[in-house]
Amino acid sequence: MIRNNLYLLLSGACLLGYSWIALNYLDPAFSDNKYFNGCLIKAITGIPCPSCGTTRSVLALSRGEILNSVMLNPFGLIVLLILLATPVWILVDLLRKKETLAQCYRYIETLLLCPGVAIPVIAIVLCNWIWNIYKGL
Amino acid sequence: MFIMANAKNFESYQLSQIRDKLIAADESKWPMVQMVQLKDPSTSLIISIFVGHFGIDRFIIGDVGIGVGKLLTCGGFGIWTIIDWFMIQGATREKNMEKMQQIL
Repeated sequence: MIRNNLYLLLSGACLLGYSWIALNYLDPAFSDNKYFNGCLIKAITGIPCPSCGTTRSVLALSRGEILNSVMLNPFGLIVLLILLATPVWILVDLLRKKETLAQCYRYIETLLLCPGVAIPVIAIVLCNWIWNIYKGL
Repeated sequence: MFIMANAKNFESYQLSQIRDKLIAADESKWPMVQMVQLKDPSTSLIISIFVGHFGIDRFIIGDVGIGVGKLLTCGGFGIWTIIDWFMIQGATREKNMEKMQQIL
């Protein structure tokens, strides 16, 4: 992917992520309604998907409840890290006219395509999914 | 022959470009051209409809970053999943073209 497209996509995604979290922060019951809770699978089948509970987890982290957030969904930690790091990284890259983020993105892409990395990652995601269903998020 | 067998894997406007490059390429490239693994847009559409929510359609075509994004956000709050039902075939053809360009 071309550098500028990637940065545009990432900043758009971060913006949407921040607005979604802000909406849920201002109104904790925002995604509790039965019409739209942010997840298609949960809305249709009632079973949580692997990343259900991420919003609640990020909100718990923002209140400083680390253990609570990990118990809700460990993906919240990853999402918060990405949300915090990406805008800063994009700004630094644009100011220094470099493309370290794009290089890192490509590196992670090739890394995740190696079977040695992909299989454990898939296993972790599946375990998290089973845990999510067990918790009944 | 190659174009006849693989026309569905590329956008129609890319076909003439590929044809020109194939004609210009020398014979030694031919084994590599035959070896390249092109993804079928119909397959990725089926994958997208059934498990696109987890970003697996994007993983399959090699867009790992976007796949992870879809996985972590419940398929982009379900909206991206639906958008990708329509986008994935084009994205697959673009990826195939990228692979061809690396070889030719």
